[in-house]
Amino acid sequence: MPEHMPFASRRGLLFGAAAVSAGAFLTGCTSNESSDKDEPAANDQPAADDKPGKPVTIGFAGPQADHGWLNAINDNAKKRAEKYSDVTLEITEGSNDTAQQIGQIETLINKKVDVLVILPADGKALTQVGLKAMRAGIPVINLDRIFNSPQAYRCWIGGDNYGMGLNAGHYIGEKLKDKKNARVIELAGLDNLELTKQRTQGFDDALKNYPNIKKVARQAAEFTVESGQAKMAQLLQAQPEFDALWNHDDDQGVGALRAIEQAGRDDFLMVGGAGALSAFQAIKADNGVLKATVLYPPTMAASAIDLARALGQSKGVGGLAEYEIPASITLYSAVVDKTNVDQYMSTGFK
Amino acid sequence: MTQPVSPPRDDRTGKVPPAGQAPAWRAVWSRADVRTLSLLGVLAVLVLIGGITKPDQFLDTRNLQLVLTQASVIGVVTVGMTFVITSGGIDLSVGAIVALASVWATTVATQEYGFGGILFTSIAVGVGCGLVNGVLIAYGGMVPFIATLAMLASARGLALQITEGRTQVVTVPSVLDLGERDAYVLGVPPLVLVFGVVTVIGWLLLNRTTFGRRTVAVGGNAEAARLAGIDVRRQRLYLYLLSGLCCGIAAFLLIVLSGSGQNTNGNLYELDAIAAAIIGGTLLTGGRGTIVGSVLGVLIFTTITNIFALNNLQSDVQQIAKGAIIVAAVLVQRRTASTT
Amino acid sequence: MAPEPPLLSMSGITKSFPGVRALDGVDLDVQAGEVHCLLGQNGAGKSTLIKVLAGAHQPDTGTIRWRGEEVTLRSPIAAMRLGIATIYQELDLVEHMSVAENVHLGHEPTAAGFVVRGRAAREATAGLLKRLGHPEIDPARLVGELSAAQQQIVSMARALSHDVRLIVMDEPSAALDPDEVDNLFRIVGDLTADGVAVVYISHRLEEIRRIGDRVTVLKDGRAVAVGLPAKSTPTREVVSLMTGRNVEYVFPERPSSAPETAPVLTVEKLSRQGEFEPLDLQVRAGEIVGLAGLVGSGRSEILETVYGARRPDTGRVLVDGKPLKPGSVRAAVRAGVGLAPEERKAQALLMLESVTRNVSVSSMSRFSRAGWIDRGAELGAARAATRELSLRPDNPDVPVRTLSGGNQQKAVLARWLLRGCRVLLLDEPTRGVDVGARAELYAVVRRLADEGLAVLLVSSEVPEVLGLADRVLVLREGRVVHTAPARELDEHRVLDLVMEGSPAS
Repeated sequence: MPEHMPFASRRGLLFGAAAVSAGAFLTGCTSNESSDKDEPAANDQPAADDKPGKPVTIGFAGPQADHGWLNAINDNAKKRAEKYSDVTLEITEGSNDTAQQIGQIETLINKKVDVLVILPADGKALTQVGLKAMRAGIPVINLDRIFNSPQAYRCWIGGDNYGMGLNAGHYIGEKLKDKKNARVIELAGLDNLELTKQRTQGFDDALKNYPNIKKVARQAAEFTVESGQAKMAQLLQAQPEFDALWNHDDDQGVGALRAIEQAGRDDFLMVGGAGALSAFQAIKADNGVLKATVLYPPTMAASAIDLARALGQSKGVGGLAEYEIPASITLYSAVVDKTNVDQYMSTGFK
Repeated sequence: MTQPVSPPRDDRTGKVPPAGQAPAWRAVWSRADVRTLSLLGVLAVLVLIGGITKPDQFLDTRNLQLVLTQASVIGVVTVGMTFVITSGGIDLSVGAIVALASVWATTVATQEYGFGGILFTSIAVGVGCGLVNGVLIAYGGMVPFIATLAMLASARGLALQITEGRTQVVTVPSVLDLGERDAYVLGVPPLVLVFGVVTVIGWLLLNRTTFGRRTVAVGGNAEAARLAGIDVRRQRLYLYLLSGLCCGIAAFLLIVLSGSGQNTNGNLYELDAIAAAIIGGTLLTGGRGTIVGSVLGVLIFTTITNIFALNNLQSDVQQIAKGAIIVAAVLVQRRTASTT
Repeated sequence: MAPEPPLLSMSGITKSFPGVRALDGVDLDVQAGEVHCLLGQNGAGKSTLIKVLAGAHQPDTGTIRWRGEEVTLRSPIAAMRLGIATIYQELDLVEHMSVAENVHLGHEPTAAGFVVRGRAAREATAGLLKRLGHPEIDPARLVGELSAAQQQIVSMARALSHDVRLIVMDEPSAALDPDEVDNLFRIVGDLTADGVAVVYISHRLEEIRRIGDRVTVLKDGRAVAVGLPAKSTPTREVVSLMTGRNVEYVFPERPSSAPETAPVLTVEKLSRQGEFEPLDLQVRAGEIVGLAGLVGSGRSEILETVYGARRPDTGRVLVDGKPLKPGSVRAAVRAGVGLAPEERKAQALLMLESVTRNVSVSSMSRFSRAGWIDRGAELGAARAATRELSLRPDNPDVPVRTLSGGNQQKAVLARWLLRGCRVLLLDEPTRGVDVGARAELYAVVRRLADEGLAVLLVSSEVPEVLGLADRVLVLREGRVVHTAPARELDEHRVLDLVMEGSPAS
């Protein structure tokens, strides 16, 4: 990880642990068995491993995959489940309709799956059905969009929106720290989403560490290519000179890059967000403004399957001393730039 | 008695008064003029605000090119929508059709056929969706609101199925080049050129052809149009076809502009197009439509967005302002309608 | 009559609409417990008068006294609060709501002021329906599922759900079978026995004789007779009152002899179930054929079927010997048939458009090449057509809605003139046209006939048909009861025929 943060809290510690295990899952998912995995825990409790164990049926309910990232979530979950001979995955048709998703989850509860993995279309609205599953004795892995009540899930695993902004800010800060009166702009995602506010907050907080840098403009796009192009074009017109740009989302970044190309601008550095394959390829090629992207890894779905399997087999997580899997895992938003892009290339989503 | 028997006029053999001199003629046309002038006034105020707040960035050729380019895609959609609304209908599916056409035209398979393949597919999908809308409404007897709402849902669904949520990046250089600065014709971006041509054709079609007259007649009084011998159903079919065609053209423009196709394209175009048309002076109840007004409506919205972005105001403020302008424009329109 | 003031007393009521004076100083007084009949031809002002009484129209001048006190009926609710209920001919029920909901619409029984007590409403409704002799109507059923007669009962139940003192019934028997009419009369009897006054509008003299107490006759917006005894006034006198005129229309002269040309319009065995029975008629070039009949006699339906706006169940229509495609307006228009419909604003005119565009709408292909309109030619042709009909103002660019009723009608005629049609169908051509402007319109129609058009005219105004047409078909309830040259008929005879089916004694 290129930019290490001071880990100040217990949550911070979990970050680190999760980052390690996430890394393990990643490599596990792609190629060779990582050496991390072979390290036994410091005690003798059974940690989840690849050896076939008790058969587990996992119910998976996610929103409609109308965005590259969500599509990657589904792919990661499916691929991960296929990897285990002892896991049966019951995956629902993705839906953005709260009522429909509740219905789908209730069906899974009635089918008596062993563990549920839920990425709610709307975390608040689906809390009740999460509670229902837990009361029915089916442990719930809450993926990314968090339920209202901790009672509604056994374990939450998700990305770190605040950390995403923070890491993007630090990366840009380090790159510009020797430049006087540096100017930075931000192309945010959908403004009415909480996560957009968290990302912006993290970004702003990080920039506070660099008094020479000023954020001069921010516009919100809508996570779509079309809106990315439109808003970026306006931003470029509004700001004839700036040094760095952080774009919250690589999907809208396709449009933003198009606008930058159309305006013929190349006088700044751009950092993306999420981790799309197209962004990784551009970073690797290093022939444009895009120099890095901050991860919001869809591999979390694979990790969720691992956690679900561990729960179903009453095991802990490798690499941790505890008998039980953690109650909450926040993934680390790593910065991917030219130096480490090869490592992440296979996780990039289309 | 409000209407006395007209005395026989003594100048029955007299010369025909030139149209421009008749006061009543003036009354009819000045109303339309007042509406157009008020829209131009709003635009002028916006330009003033933009010029004062951000003189360097706003009053700039590049910015003019930018505003017009951003207006082109929704502008073409709005021209089609104006016809539909003038006929007393509504097309809620425009955004979804743009999305479907843009993703269909940017699949790997389509891109193999190059520029022509992308252009043809965009337009064919647009016209195809318009045909379905038209047949359902004109011959299936469905209410336009419902039929096009159904099209909205299914076209978006199909677009999602094609892309699986992925962004389809265009790799055909000739298409991409059209959106670049090098392709500008005498400083006019090709997109804006297309928008201009569509506007002029739309204006001529509405104001100078039998097609336009039938559209207005159907919207003003469908029963009277039918009893006057107009084939109302066929006219309706053509109107939704036309709207679909405009969506297809807009989809191609959007592909050029964004260099990609995505199932989220054309998000809420239906609302933007309806709002622009209504602000422009097209009656939501049908019977009166104005292409010039619609285009001015689009330009007003695009200019507002531009000014807000240049001044770094956030999207919540933008949305509030947009809503306020719609309400204000409709109120003004009602006032002018009731006082004349 | 009792010495106390009448329940209702209207005096000097006037009401004008653009181009028409619908009521011109009408007096009406109604006593509690009586059945007061209102008679008059179509357009005499009956419906305007009851709308004033119902609070739906505000009179321009005149006073309304209720139990001796002057009142203003600002709205239907104000009238209802006083105890005046109106049962319109076209029932104003909400089809998608239940019977009970309709009955209590606007004054639902509630708990805590806003929770509708559905059960209480249904029970109250059931009581009312029983009182009206129709206990079989389920208060929970949707009104749209009921027959016309049952809907009328519901409408009456709604009136009775208020503390009603006066009920206005606008041709209540028109939609009813004979035994339902008997029930209606029983209800009327019960109501009057309770001291409720009924204002009863009907065309059927025998009904008025059976249940009426007094009769007020309206004609041309005036009350020509107030409070005649309903049972003893001779039919002839009533008919005279209804038809006698202050304004004598000037009708153009007929050609001395009927033209001996081949028929342009031929109608063979044309019928529509429930609307009109098989009809045969022919109209020659230059001839005006009139259809005389009351509302509901099938007149408009016949015209619209001939025009293709309605599809006939049997029979066919021929123009110049060639049959038209049934149910196709476009086929009729192409063959040279034009219709000036009864509801000009709703069925003929594009109110937002100029006269030119209204005139040219049916002949656009004449001024266009490949869809491109030659606006100069269009304007010239529209100007020529409107001038030929002396349309005022002499400027086809004005919006058609600024025109008077008569000139709007001329714009419709100009449309067909421009189209060059052979057959002109006129449905109530002078409806909404000022009395003074009618003569001019009659002259126009006659001139068009003289120029070779075949004209089929429908009017509920008997003098109009008799004065304008060459030949008259008298309709009663969808059936031709008499055919004769117009000069052999007079107004009394026609009125007898349309009201009673046979000449009155």
